[in-house]
Amino acid sequence: MINELYFALYAIKKNVQSNAELRTSFIANIIGMMINNTSFLIIWIFFIRSVGIINGWTAADILGLQGFSALCFGIVFSAGGGIRHTAEYVSSGSFDRFLLSPKNLLLRLATSSFGVSAVGDMLFGVACLAIYATLLHTTPYQVAFICVLVILSTMVFLAAVVTVYSASFLFVDSNTVVDGLFELFLTPALFHGGAFRGGMRFIFTFVIPSLLIGTLPVEAVRNASLEKLLLITLLSFAWLLISFKLFYAGVRKYESSNFMTFGS
Amino acid sequence: MLHAELPICATLKIHMPKEEKTIVVSELSKKFTFPVKTEGTGWLKNLLRPEIRHVRAVDAISFSVTKGERVAFIGPNGAGKSTTIKMLTSILFPTSGTIRVLGLDPTTDRKKLAYKIGTVFGQRSQLFPNLPITDSLEFFGVMYDMTDIQIRKRVIELAELFELNSFADQPVRKLSLGQRMRAEVAASLMHRPEVIFLDEPTIGLDVIAKKSLRDLLVKINNEEQTTIFLTSHDVGDIESLCNRTIIINKGILVKDLPTQELTRTFVYEKYIDLVPPVAFETFPELPDGIRYATKGKNKITTIVDLDRISVRDALKALLDIFEVEDVDVYNTDLETVIRHIYEAD
Repeated sequence: MINELYFALYAIKKNVQSNAELRTSFIANIIGMMINNTSFLIIWIFFIRSVGIINGWTAADILGLQGFSALCFGIVFSAGGGIRHTAEYVSSGSFDRFLLSPKNLLLRLATSSFGVSAVGDMLFGVACLAIYATLLHTTPYQVAFICVLVILSTMVFLAAVVTVYSASFLFVDSNTVVDGLFELFLTPALFHGGAFRGGMRFIFTFVIPSLLIGTLPVEAVRNASLEKLLLITLLSFAWLLISFKLFYAGVRKYESSNFMTFGS
Repeated sequence: MLHAELPICATLKIHMPKEEKTIVVSELSKKFTFPVKTEGTGWLKNLLRPEIRHVRAVDAISFSVTKGERVAFIGPNGAGKSTTIKMLTSILFPTSGTIRVLGLDPTTDRKKLAYKIGTVFGQRSQLFPNLPITDSLEFFGVMYDMTDIQIRKRVIELAELFELNSFADQPVRKLSLGQRMRAEVAASLMHRPEVIFLDEPTIGLDVIAKKSLRDLLVKINNEEQTTIFLTSHDVGDIESLCNRTIIINKGILVKDLPTQELTRTFVYEKYIDLVPPVAFETFPELPDGIRYATKGKNKITTIVDLDRISVRDALKALLDIFEVEDVDVYNTDLETVIRHIYEAD
């Protein structure tokens, strides 16, 4: 296990080094993503100012929502950027090299590529959560809540991404479908949390885990709700387990191919 | 007394050292399914309910490889070579049959097996394109849980052996194909694998790069007793590198014999060179079973089809037609032999 983690960290370091060789694109990607996220946040703040508070959701909550979402997106897609390339790896046959590695397959796949632009998301997420915590005058107890919830929402995000990208093994040229499924999960996760009530809330919590990324964590922090924390914990572990099962079931369907490919 | 009653072969079997089997494949099959477009059927039906075709890429093949052997696993395109190699290395799951590589089952012992084997796919790179080769070698070292000292020592060793030092600090994307292939093989040998699987390692290389790579593989085989299992379309790889050849066609194992015996066992044609005392002026029509390979004033080369005419009769016929000073009779090259084997199936 220690060897696996050591190798994973080493692979991430090598990927960062490899990306940093192309310096201009490395820096431009990070800054570009931060600008993109900021513009998105500004739209939501203006929306709340003009429409008012919906179902108890204030502008600060939207800031928290964006913080949680951007941070877990950034963590998963920077360190584990390889998952995003699953469809491409499978259709080109370059997934072979992960099967030839003596390491954990999912960890090897995830750390095969570093998403530079996701660093921008990560920095943006940290900044949002810091401002959110300040605006909320959070107690140390709530700060601890935020930290635990960042870990849990990252787990859910990882599980959702692994589940969605496991579909890549089922048919050739799955990029469009996989990207569509990912958007189906991500868009509600970034949407105004107060908009989800009743059936919609149930679906996007238990069927598609979008609300576990930001909406439920923000509500859990706001009310320091242990019940919500417990629910998120249980669901995040369940989703992680399901996603791993689906991934390895998908791998058994892998058929390889003989296209020319490059990269470690 | 009991020992004396044993048959000779049984007694010999007891005393003979047992050859260590590195690869044992038994009744191995792999079936692929894919949709096909049916002619004369509407596109909607083809889209929603296409006909499913089953293809046996590998069909019940069995063979074994002994430690230290250099085996060429050859066949025409689509014969099932790569599929077999992928099943041996844990990439694909077999439909049926059993595989043991170094005593391990690739379908269940993927990680354990990966520590013991090396792979080179000519069409695939395992190296970091933006970083120098040494970074990729180090990466492989860490992946195989080698210590820093072991990694440093092995990188120096491989860089010397594969003559990587002159371009070791260049990003991989800037290397020539020959340099990159040497680096690929070096990377796959970082952890001193017991078996190395190479899928068309010399594809696209020039003659010098090919020779250099082949020499290195022989050296590794001699010095580290690494078993080599190679697929290639290049006859030179087979002739100069492998002491045994397994031929597969349409998923079925066709031949399995020492490479040297290939040309001797499967001689379908002989070549006869004729050298004139002065010069050949005319090139008359040749008897049935003999044809011209080259026509020159100073030398004629003919090909004799042994199914239709014997060498003796061919020689007699040619000497009746031409006035010659010197005659040379020799076997067909390995490429022709292999082509004939492919075509026969």
